[in-house]
Amino acid sequence: MKKNKLIFWAFVGPSLLAFTLVVLAPLLMGIYYSFTNWNGIAANVSFVGLDNYIEMFNDSSFLDSFIFTTKFTIVSVIAVNAIGFALALLVTRGLKISNFLRTIFFMPNLIGGLILGFIWQFIFTKGFAALGELTGQGWLLGWLSNQETGFWGLAILLAWKMSGYVMVIYVAGIQGIPEELVEAAKIDGANAWERVKHIVFPLIRPAFTASLFLTLSNSFKLFDPNLSLTSGGPARSTEMLALNIYKTAFTFREMGVAQAKAVIFLIVVGIVTLTQVHFTKKGEVEM
Amino acid sequence: MKSKGKLMVILSLVLVFGLLITGCGADDTKSTTENSSDENSAAKVKVNIFQFKVEVKDALEDAAEKYMAENPNVELKIQTVGGGDDYGAALRSKFASGNEPAVFNVGGPQDVADWKNKLEDLSDQSWVDLAYNGVLDGVTVDDKVFGLPFNQEGYGFIYNKSIFKKAGIEAESIKSYAELKAAVEKLDSQKEELGLKSVFAFPAKETWVTGLHLSNAALSNEFENVLKAYESKEVDFKYGEGLKKLIDLQADYAYKPDGTKGSLNAVDYATQVEELFSLEQVAIIQQGNWAYGSIAGIDKQVAQNVGFLPMPVVGSTEDSIPVGIPMYWAVNNAKSKEVKDAAKDFLSWLYTSEQGKKIVINDFGFIPALRGYEGPELEPSDPLARDILKYSNQDRTMPWVFMGYPSGWGMNVLGTNIQSYLAGDMTWDQLVKDSQKEWAKAREE
Amino acid sequence: MNKQKKLILRIISVLSAGLFLVPFYIMLINSFKTKKQLFLDTLGFPKTFDFNNYIVAWERLEFLKVFFNSLIITVGSLTIVIIFSSMAAWMLQRTKSKLSTFIFFVFVASMLIPFQAVMLPLVRIMGKLNLLNMPGLIFMYLGFQSSLSIFLYHGFVKGIPKALDEAAIIDGCNSFQIFWYIIFPLLKPITITVSVLNAVWIWNDYLLPSLVINKEASHTIPLRIFFFFGEYTKQWHLAMAGLTLAIIPVIIFYFFAQKHIIKGVTDGSVK
Repeated sequence: MKKNKLIFWAFVGPSLLAFTLVVLAPLLMGIYYSFTNWNGIAANVSFVGLDNYIEMFNDSSFLDSFIFTTKFTIVSVIAVNAIGFALALLVTRGLKISNFLRTIFFMPNLIGGLILGFIWQFIFTKGFAALGELTGQGWLLGWLSNQETGFWGLAILLAWKMSGYVMVIYVAGIQGIPEELVEAAKIDGANAWERVKHIVFPLIRPAFTASLFLTLSNSFKLFDPNLSLTSGGPARSTEMLALNIYKTAFTFREMGVAQAKAVIFLIVVGIVTLTQVHFTKKGEVEM
Repeated sequence: MKSKGKLMVILSLVLVFGLLITGCGADDTKSTTENSSDENSAAKVKVNIFQFKVEVKDALEDAAEKYMAENPNVELKIQTVGGGDDYGAALRSKFASGNEPAVFNVGGPQDVADWKNKLEDLSDQSWVDLAYNGVLDGVTVDDKVFGLPFNQEGYGFIYNKSIFKKAGIEAESIKSYAELKAAVEKLDSQKEELGLKSVFAFPAKETWVTGLHLSNAALSNEFENVLKAYESKEVDFKYGEGLKKLIDLQADYAYKPDGTKGSLNAVDYATQVEELFSLEQVAIIQQGNWAYGSIAGIDKQVAQNVGFLPMPVVGSTEDSIPVGIPMYWAVNNAKSKEVKDAAKDFLSWLYTSEQGKKIVINDFGFIPALRGYEGPELEPSDPLARDILKYSNQDRTMPWVFMGYPSGWGMNVLGTNIQSYLAGDMTWDQLVKDSQKEWAKAREE
Repeated sequence: MNKQKKLILRIISVLSAGLFLVPFYIMLINSFKTKKQLFLDTLGFPKTFDFNNYIVAWERLEFLKVFFNSLIITVGSLTIVIIFSSMAAWMLQRTKSKLSTFIFFVFVASMLIPFQAVMLPLVRIMGKLNLLNMPGLIFMYLGFQSSLSIFLYHGFVKGIPKALDEAAIIDGCNSFQIFWYIIFPLLKPITITVSVLNAVWIWNDYLLPSLVINKEASHTIPLRIFFFFGEYTKQWHLAMAGLTLAIIPVIIFYFFAQKHIIKGVTDGSVK
């Protein structure tokens, strides 16, 4: 028994230690700071109780960004997973150019999020404008100048970036499906859609759980592209939660309030995602 | 055998991590962040400089080389943060990590208040007496000076001289809002002949242009100087009408991407300066002398043919431009005496020695905030900087007070409210009321 | 019928690939333009292929040096992340205890933590431990990336029959031997997925290195590219060239790795 424990810690220990030092300890420190008047510099902080939390709820920008973030997350999760799954099916059909396609679909991930935002900003404001003037399509003009185009700009950016990412996960899932099963179904006369529905869907449930979870948390936490694409503007109308927290901390210099927001943010995201995992996991097929 | 080796590696890693954790608990009680062993191990005095102006990175590194050649016992290390926005965050994390720089940048009264425990008193430095009137206001607390001004910067309405000439407008005579408006209308009526898309380019996306710079024209007349703004519990918008006129004038006659005023909220600095102005598609932009480099990067001829028009605030100063100090150098008082002395000496050398002055003027392209930069070799080379000196000499300047706004208020309250105003989501009265409310709220604490 | 279907598939593929490539096209063509051309004609083909931007970007980035820094950090982090998180995931999945479930839960839940929430306390702790610059960065990536990696491995380990472990125990293998000789090879498909996902994240990360690395000599590529983004303006033409330079090696690597992914997946499915 004792030996088993030792082995358990030998396997889990290294990751857990790094994780504790890098994520958990700072998180706990952050939670502590949310009850203080810490300004990010001074060593001596004093306890202020729930003041930061009260201030946070009086800050209408927090609620606004919460609503914006929720809408954005719903749209992106659906878009990214639908496109990602479609791409995964496309590149596992045994076409000669499959490898090449996979590379291309994944390529957006090779660029960092901040720079991606800059490039898309360039496309939306300059590229779209040039195209709009050329074709006389008015809706291509003035992108990112209001909440609506800012929202869709972010959604397009994330779909473009993340579809290839979840595609990789779906591909791993699809290729894990035993060839014999698919062959057997074909012999039984199942058409392509039936094969996808009855074999692929159930067997890639783990991949689906993983992708859904990743897209959910990634879109909810979206920061880098938000900062560089719209920087939350105009009039803070496209400011997502992570950016709102960041701005509270470094622009308004209210570290305590920022940490309080982060705590609430964490709790909400936690509840939402874990509920999702709970429900999607139920349907997984154990091998 | 093989797996035994792996086991050993893993176990030793576990051990090391375990030690690290205990190290964490033991270290936490120590409040000192000074890393003295780092400085004493070598004979050289190491001075780490952490600065934010990417534009002068290379020139500053060259200057450090020259200084080290003269002072072989000193080693200067310069680190520059890119991307503009992140300096405050990066600096905080530097201090948090205990890797404190010896020299860093502070912006104004709020920074000085935040960092006051870390700032070395620089009142005894020789350059203090050389400073122009008022340039040290933002970093002076109880008669102690905590910062050396980087440079002076000024902004106003930059205009394209050759377009004005073609349109037959005498730029020098524009000294009031009425005269400016007349000139704008005249330009607008000749748009086609002049090849203009519009008269102005108005970057409402850059809230620093609207919320900080533009508002400063009105608020500097209300507050007089940066400290008064910093200490003020509320903002009146005494010259709000004058501010509204300046916003409306620019917005009415600006290039609008989709024809609506709301789309001005997508116009950024690059579109305003590098595209529309440098390609001579607009005639006037509200920008500062820093735009020279951007314009010259596109078209050197256009860059030689520009000047400043004043920013006329109706009911107050109508013939002046705002001139101020964007950033200050500060020295970290937690460092050892040798390091602090070397840091101060380098800063003095850079701004007051003959060699340093040449670097400041010619390589950095700065407008000095200190006296003693006379002589033909120390003339600013670009027309915008020369224009600012001209305004200074004629006493036609107003101070920068936006460094004294509450943190984030200028860009993220007023600037974003101006965006809502342009989009039609907010009336001018609502803008004023909300901005006043937010100012008072920020000052409550 | 079948041929027709293949043709449709092919057309869809090519079209969607084209759509995905547009931003890269914009990046590439604008990397050859002068700043003025870039504003005059954003979407068009450059009039002349001028490599000047690349020469300037290469020098300003000190490309070779920062490339190797990025490489060391990425490969170093990846190696320890793969080893330790696959180990942990296997153990966590196979051990049915409350503690094990709890630890896994904590790992997974932490994926939701926004980096900004831990940023300042993190550098404070790491500074005190003297864990900054490259070694510290690699250690931090182990901490940050282990959640995602354990999560992905955990899902995959579930698909490996427990009977395999049991058979090995009967053969007299200890836990480490079971893991290294039997389980780890079977994890290959997911190992490659984990590597690719982690590698791109680490390779491109800006915020963490910007906080942790304080020596110019240890700069990574993203840190240097930000020198093209100044206080007021952005050197688009240089940034585009710099980005292209930064991406080329990754694309070459990715093409190369593709072969192994296929091989890995087939190896893995032969059970």
